[in-house]
Amino acid sequence: MRLAKHLRPLVFLAPPFTLIAVFVIYPILATFYYSFYDKNTGLLSLNNYKEVLLSSNPLNMIIARSFSHTPPWGALVHNLVWVALHVPIVTFLGLIIAYLLKYHVRGSTIIKAILFLGIVIPPAVGGLIIRFMFEADIGIVPILFSYVGVESLSKTWTLYPQTALLALILGSVWLWLGFSVTVFAAAMETIPRSHIEAAKVFGASTWQIFYRIVAPQLKPAITVVVVMTLLWDLKIFDIVYASTGGGPGGSTTVLALVMYNYFARALDYYKSAAVAVILTLVVIPFIVLIIRRERG
Amino acid sequence: MAKKGHIVDLTTVINKDDYVAGVLDSVTWDGKIWAAPFTMWLKPGFWYRKSFFQAHGLSEPKTWDEFKSLLDKIKGISGVKNPIVTGDGVGWPVSDVTEHFIIAIGGPQLQLDLISGKVKFNDARVKSVFEAYLVPPIKAGHFSEPIEWTKAVELWWKGDYALYFMGTWITGMVENPDDLGFFPLPGAKGVVGGTDYIFVPKHSANLNAALEFLKWLATEGQVVHGSTKAGKIPTWVKASPGALWKPMQDVYRKVQDLKLAILPDMDDTVGGDWQTLFWDQLKLLWVSPDKLGSVLDTLTREHPATKG
Repeated sequence: MRLAKHLRPLVFLAPPFTLIAVFVIYPILATFYYSFYDKNTGLLSLNNYKEVLLSSNPLNMIIARSFSHTPPWGALVHNLVWVALHVPIVTFLGLIIAYLLKYHVRGSTIIKAILFLGIVIPPAVGGLIIRFMFEADIGIVPILFSYVGVESLSKTWTLYPQTALLALILGSVWLWLGFSVTVFAAAMETIPRSHIEAAKVFGASTWQIFYRIVAPQLKPAITVVVVMTLLWDLKIFDIVYASTGGGPGGSTTVLALVMYNYFARALDYYKSAAVAVILTLVVIPFIVLIIRRERG
Repeated sequence: MAKKGHIVDLTTVINKDDYVAGVLDSVTWDGKIWAAPFTMWLKPGFWYRKSFFQAHGLSEPKTWDEFKSLLDKIKGISGVKNPIVTGDGVGWPVSDVTEHFIIAIGGPQLQLDLISGKVKFNDARVKSVFEAYLVPPIKAGHFSEPIEWTKAVELWWKGDYALYFMGTWITGMVENPDDLGFFPLPGAKGVVGGTDYIFVPKHSANLNAALEFLKWLATEGQVVHGSTKAGKIPTWVKASPGALWKPMQDVYRKVQDLKLAILPDMDDTVGGDWQTLFWDQLKLLWVSPDKLGSVLDTLTREHPATKG
């Protein structure tokens, strides 16, 4: 009877553990193993890593051999640039928009719903929309620059190495902003109205209320937005695949696209596994850092 | 697939002498035929609207100088953004027009040698095709920036552009195919053509019915397909050109009259990740023609046959 009682949790845990073992743990271990598998010799070696890290194909290049002031800089650097621009823009813009919608705009639900559309759109479709958003003559961005007379930015952004990566990052801000606004708006609901009103009574300005009352109480929500956006940026694929395919001249290629190219284009599964492991190694430090900070 | 025994040997099902020369080469292995061709498309040259040419007193060029002067004349027409619209998708339309320049200027053999890797992309002959013939019109603004290729059809048809290099399927994409004309680059001795094939899996439940259907598709079925608006031509030589859809009869006749050889598509034949690299590097060349040297070096370095 007592044994049965001890076994009961195991009975309930066995199905999810089995599923996790088959669909999560085994693929992780297999990917790690195959990343070292040399298809020519059948032995385990570092050759796959060497070849993917030293690839000179601009679409599969992980780190460029030489750096200029415009891309291509290699997939890894492109991912990091994506993180460096996208995470702060999405976090701060989302925070400000959510704050203004909560305390200063009437009928904000409709605006929030419109902003949330970006999250509902499949990323591959989002990639196509971004391509059109930045296309000369029909895209909103080049048309706006054309109106204000900035000819150098009234062209098709995704065709030029100088502007393609920036176009995709800005486009992904539009796609992802709805997420941060929604998370911040939900978190703001938990801040008692009395805190805001008390601050107003004591003469606090809008900025002081935002900075001293609202923002500190949103720390857990900020962590969620930063972590989720960071992960989204590091594994970004669909948008790039659908809009530029990593071009022009490899100026927008990212790690997940390189992984796909080896897998589906070159049919080299072992090199694809090596890129997957590199991608994981890039993600882990960010996550560890954020979790530690959160615990601290 | 044939080596592993997954598909049916069709050597006795179709007669190889009944097909356009060379069309069975890519599906012949170990002396046996493993697939049947059922249709073919061509990438025959620059398409134009006859009414546009008529309205502006333009005619098809017979020499390279006439081609250059045609582009200059078109550039001077009010309302035309660029003489040639460049299609874009993932990049294949850019590679199509480039291959046409290689074939027309360098000759059909150069196309075959680049595919096989006998000639490298940074070879002097290839470089001269780009430097003397392709890059100057790009620099002169005769080509548009790459535009999504179906959108480009629309813009070209309404007169924003005068010429469009595209495959024969364009005949089925325009309002009035009778208004369509095309010309290959002057001096071209070949055009790219591609065939669609049918395979029969060895483990098909109704093998005999499948083979019977295949035999029909590869012969009389091609005549039916060629008569539709698909913009295709048969590979079965017994098919009567008179049964083709009217716009395709004109294409067929012109290709025959000019004695144009049908050549394999370079990026499709080389395939793999070089294919996407080829498209991407050419798109780069279109917006940065000064990078020609690095583009040709990259294509040489990464070509599976000339790698390293």
